[in-house]
Amino acid sequence: MLFALFMSFTDWNIMSKPHWVGLSNYKELFTDSAFFEILKNTLVFSMIYVSGALVIGLLLAVLVNTKVKGVRFFRAAYFTPVVTSAVAVGIVWGWILSPKYGVLNYFLEHWLHINSPSWLGDQKWALLTVAFVQTWKMVGYYMIIFLAGLQSIPRQLYEAARIDGASKHQAFWKITLPLLSPTTFFVFTIAIIDSFRNFEIIYTMTQGGPQYASTTLVYAVYLNAFVFYRMGYASAMAYVLLTIVGLLTLLNFILKKYWVKNVY
Amino acid sequence: MLKNVVVYTFLTVLAIVMIFPFFWMLVNSFNSEQNIFRLPPSFIPDKLFKKDMFENYKVVLKDYNFARYIFNSFIVAGLAAVGQVFTCSLAGFAFARMKFKGSGIIFSLLLMTMMIPVQVTIIPEFLLMMKLNWLDTFLPLIIPSFLVGSFGTFMYKEFFENVPQDLEDAAVIDGSGPFSMFLRVFFPLAKAETTTLFIIAFMNNWNDLLRPVLYISSENLYTVTIALTQFQSEYEAQWNYLLTGSVLSILPLLIVYILLQRYVVEGLTHTGMKG
Repeated sequence: MLFALFMSFTDWNIMSKPHWVGLSNYKELFTDSAFFEILKNTLVFSMIYVSGALVIGLLLAVLVNTKVKGVRFFRAAYFTPVVTSAVAVGIVWGWILSPKYGVLNYFLEHWLHINSPSWLGDQKWALLTVAFVQTWKMVGYYMIIFLAGLQSIPRQLYEAARIDGASKHQAFWKITLPLLSPTTFFVFTIAIIDSFRNFEIIYTMTQGGPQYASTTLVYAVYLNAFVFYRMGYASAMAYVLLTIVGLLTLLNFILKKYWVKNVY
Repeated sequence: MLKNVVVYTFLTVLAIVMIFPFFWMLVNSFNSEQNIFRLPPSFIPDKLFKKDMFENYKVVLKDYNFARYIFNSFIVAGLAAVGQVFTCSLAGFAFARMKFKGSGIIFSLLLMTMMIPVQVTIIPEFLLMMKLNWLDTFLPLIIPSFLVGSFGTFMYKEFFENVPQDLEDAAVIDGSGPFSMFLRVFFPLAKAETTTLFIIAFMNNWNDLLRPVLYISSENLYTVTIALTQFQSEYEAQWNYLLTGSVLSILPLLIVYILLQRYVVEGLTHTGMKG
């Protein structure tokens, strides 16, 4: 890691010896408009991913926490995408979403008469689509964590609330959510870190395109280091990435005391 | 009663959303090239239950060499998983049962590495592998697993800390040193941990794409993931073969998942928990 820090101050293309160039890699980064687009993409991706992980993850967990027959099957089903590779997932979604022969667009156009875009080829949609697929793949994972949290809430509390005349809704907002906050905090922290792990899905689905529309920081590091062989520049990017992850996690821990109930 | 109907409806709709892509992958792997491009998309593949039902699979495994790539993935992921079990069990034992200076700090540093995106360390790692002349071999895919593993170490440490002191004392009285004690007493106790870690490490390495893309350039060393992406860029229109390859690539993991669900789910959810 220290070596990577040193490299971020050099210009190195593997062939030659590294030269010390001071801060010029960082200067170039922060004057490059493409870099800001990449930063923006990274944040959009993370926001979709993290909110999906929290909202849909919790929703699934509440659903599979009900005591109905066969619920174990559904739990297992929702978790399946987590164990499969991002490459296979990217390929099959690419096929489902393909503009002409894809089953989704066929359904949208012929049954619902909606004009659907070319999901992965359109600058407006590519990033959102990839973020959706990654969220779809990982949401079962957060579901299981939420489920563990839900099951650790004492049942007596719900019974007491029912006797006091609280509705299901009230019980959810007043008991479940506050008592779940340590789990929510944990999911939030992990999801932020995970949201930067999107190399595989981007590599298989869009290769960062069209143009830079779906390039995130992680993918840009790969591009610069191993396609353009600009090791120094890529290291500088990697350090920006590390700083962002570090700052977000730190911020998260500082804010923790304001919204996480200490119940244990 | 009505409530149950609502719950089941939700559960089923969501299950379709989650499972459909895999179903679609499987269906289309039994399609011929003409049938796959038919509009409207047909839900019944034309090769299903015919004489040449598995023709796509034959072609992909033999002509496109996927048998070889799957074998490679087994070697790489298997050895890497062995490496993780070996390193993490020893390290976890040391952290749990031995007192040495700075063990607390070293352990927290190890846990912190879980947060760092791999892209930050991959560039120096790549240069190191280049200096060692290991490019285009399996070594860069396997050796890092023998060096460190925060999740596995954490898991073994938790387990070994709860082993009763009496067992350790008994082993000491029998005259065994730390290593033979580890081998005869502690390691055999941790069967569940070993299974979990082996599966998780196998899965992560089987699914990894970044390292194979960077380190492997000869075709006969391809792992399944890189082979699929290469195939995707070279034969763009042959979706039936591509999807067949995808099915083959996830099949081993799906089987493991179905048979050993408990270990997979538990192992994955404990990754980073309490970190």
